[in-house]
Amino acid sequence: MKPPVPSALLESRRILVCVGCGGVGKTTISAAVALEAARRGRRALVLTIDPARRLADALGTGPLAGGEPQEIPRERLRALGVPDDGALFALMLDVKGTLDSLVERFAEDEAARSRILDNRIYQHVSDALAGSAEYSAMEKVYELSQLERFDLIVVDTPPSQHAIDFLEAPRRLLEFIDSRLVKLLLHPALSAGRFGFRLFQRSAFRVLQLIERVSGLGFLEDVSEFLMAFEGMAEGFRERARRVEALLLGPEAAFVLAAGAAGESVQHGQALLGRLEAAGVPLAGVVMNRVRTWPGGGPPPAQIPPAGRAAEAQAALAQALAEDAGDAAFPAEDAAAAAIDATRRHAEVVGRQARACDDLHSYALRRGLFWRIVPELPRDVHDLEGLAQIARHVFAPEEGRGEAPQ
Amino acid sequence: MAQNPLEAALAAPQSPGILDRRLVIVTGKGGTGKTCVVAALALAAARAGKRVLVVETGLGEAVPPLLSPGASPVGYAGRELQPGLTALHIEPYEALAEYVGLQFGMRAMTDLVFRNAAFRQLMDASPGWRELITLGKIWHLREQERFDLVVVDAPATGHGITFLDVPRVVISAVRAGPLRRHASWVEDMVQSPDETLLLPVALAEELPARETAELVTRLREDVGVAVDRVVVNAVARSPLPPGAPDLAARLARLPAQLDCGGLPAPPVLAACLGHAVSRAELNRHYRDLIGRETGLPVVELPYLDGGVSGPDDLERLARALVEPPVRIAAESTS
Repeated sequence: MKPPVPSALLESRRILVCVGCGGVGKTTISAAVALEAARRGRRALVLTIDPARRLADALGTGPLAGGEPQEIPRERLRALGVPDDGALFALMLDVKGTLDSLVERFAEDEAARSRILDNRIYQHVSDALAGSAEYSAMEKVYELSQLERFDLIVVDTPPSQHAIDFLEAPRRLLEFIDSRLVKLLLHPALSAGRFGFRLFQRSAFRVLQLIERVSGLGFLEDVSEFLMAFEGMAEGFRERARRVEALLLGPEAAFVLAAGAAGESVQHGQALLGRLEAAGVPLAGVVMNRVRTWPGGGPPPAQIPPAGRAAEAQAALAQALAEDAGDAAFPAEDAAAAAIDATRRHAEVVGRQARACDDLHSYALRRGLFWRIVPELPRDVHDLEGLAQIARHVFAPEEGRGEAPQ
Repeated sequence: MAQNPLEAALAAPQSPGILDRRLVIVTGKGGTGKTCVVAALALAAARAGKRVLVVETGLGEAVPPLLSPGASPVGYAGRELQPGLTALHIEPYEALAEYVGLQFGMRAMTDLVFRNAAFRQLMDASPGWRELITLGKIWHLREQERFDLVVVDAPATGHGITFLDVPRVVISAVRAGPLRRHASWVEDMVQSPDETLLLPVALAEELPARETAELVTRLREDVGVAVDRVVVNAVARSPLPPGAPDLAARLARLPAQLDCGGLPAPPVLAACLGHAVSRAELNRHYRDLIGRETGLPVVELPYLDGGVSGPDDLERLARALVEPPVRIAAESTS
């Protein structure tokens, strides 16, 4: 299978999802991808779900107001070669706001709406607790995909241990709504009365009794009121969750795995790749971020200095440095030793990372995924120019051929 | 780490030292080396004669392999890995079953309920309880007084905030009853400044540095947990010898084809050295930025080329961790 060309995805897809473990630079890669789309004349939006607001830092926009797409000023983009029909927006997910508007859309009437929004359980679940970010992120992606305003949405997924929590959120929501326990909470009288105590219901009642005993009086009442209010919206939710899943697993979306090159990071990336595949995700490629490269390209020498020539090498370099300095006070020996040591260590890191990446590389090739390497830059990337530099590596026309033509 | 006695005195206020707490919760963004810090801190405490417990909260076990390479998983029951150093892995469902069993003495019924598929579904979809039960288990372990120090490998930042914030949320969401009471015990534990310390781990790079500053602010304002230092991990040392600050430029000036005993050509030497110099400068700059923005003294850990690859590396980190933290001067110009 011939791997796709990354730049073709910018034309053929409406949604690109960037997945990866924490700390690999997912946010930076996502922003670079959106910037490249803008450079190719598309109206691109990058959505970050990251509660740490790193995207704003990377884009240099200052703090992003939650919930509203913010356009990166055209004059700054023009300097990076973005044509007039291209545009770049950034959006920081507002978890509670997104869920609130979902409730407003699907609630049957005004009373149902305020019953939910005023419910204690809802107020806390919607805002403060882990997991709600994934639910509302999915919703936001769907909502944005329905707008004509953006040609391409790049999604930076939350730093999650499960990493595919994000994908599973709609399905889990559906299962939750459909679960028999929830139905029992909603219709205790119905279950107990008309159908009597069947085996399942007896154990389910025990579950409820147990929860009531642990959580104290009133808690289940709140939960049940919350669920009851939600029940009217269940069909809307269900339909929505189905569409979100179809969108993400369908032909309009593609997933890109971002991974780091240090030993453990590669292993985590590989494990994640396997899980994504098992989940039926339309995976397009792998971007190895911050890979140490050898100056001038190619593999580093096997040994620095060459075996048996250490003393000779250091003496020769020291002499060259001393001649260049023309100053007896210059510590030429120390300087030569430091230069050789730094070069040897650099070569070791290059070699170690290359070996660590080998397996993941052949795995990706076997599966017809593209494979791109973003070299470790001597400076951190935290502005648009840095993002453009990263994009050149991600969108290089071919693997290992360096940068894309300007 | 260069430090004068005055700095050391300033850095060590009346608050207890890192090993004198009863609970240290280590948190940080993914990729910061949080797990190594947990292992090194536990090792340092054990070396100081403490009975230490390491608590894993993640999906898998990352700390035990560092402390005892090749050992089988420690699991929920836990196991002593080295003399005085025990590790366990909190699995939320097991912790919940234990809690319910302890609370109500209904183990048989609890097991029945836990096997119920609908119950699993409900729990899988419910946010928050994993964090609460994990903290609850930590509270319980601490109460047993089998250990002098408990070190927790907390979830990555972002989720790290919610992790510690859950008791507060439960207290305000639940009206009365055992759950509310137990959540308030857990909250008291988190907010006890003499006993509990939150230890943020950061990298000296732009985005992690800013994120750490944000994390510390939110922890202080929202969670009320004590934070008295920041660990800045993987700080690269400058490769430059004294008297040669412009070595990279000097190497770049040498004839490009010069052969020095089979070494790579001078431009390659210049590039490699230059890379190491920039990394070190960058790390120093952001280490100082972290110190200034958080207003906290900094514990600096060295960058290790091959990561933490053996017991010697861990010992090195352990020694560096218990050094008094260094306060970064307000108007540092680096």
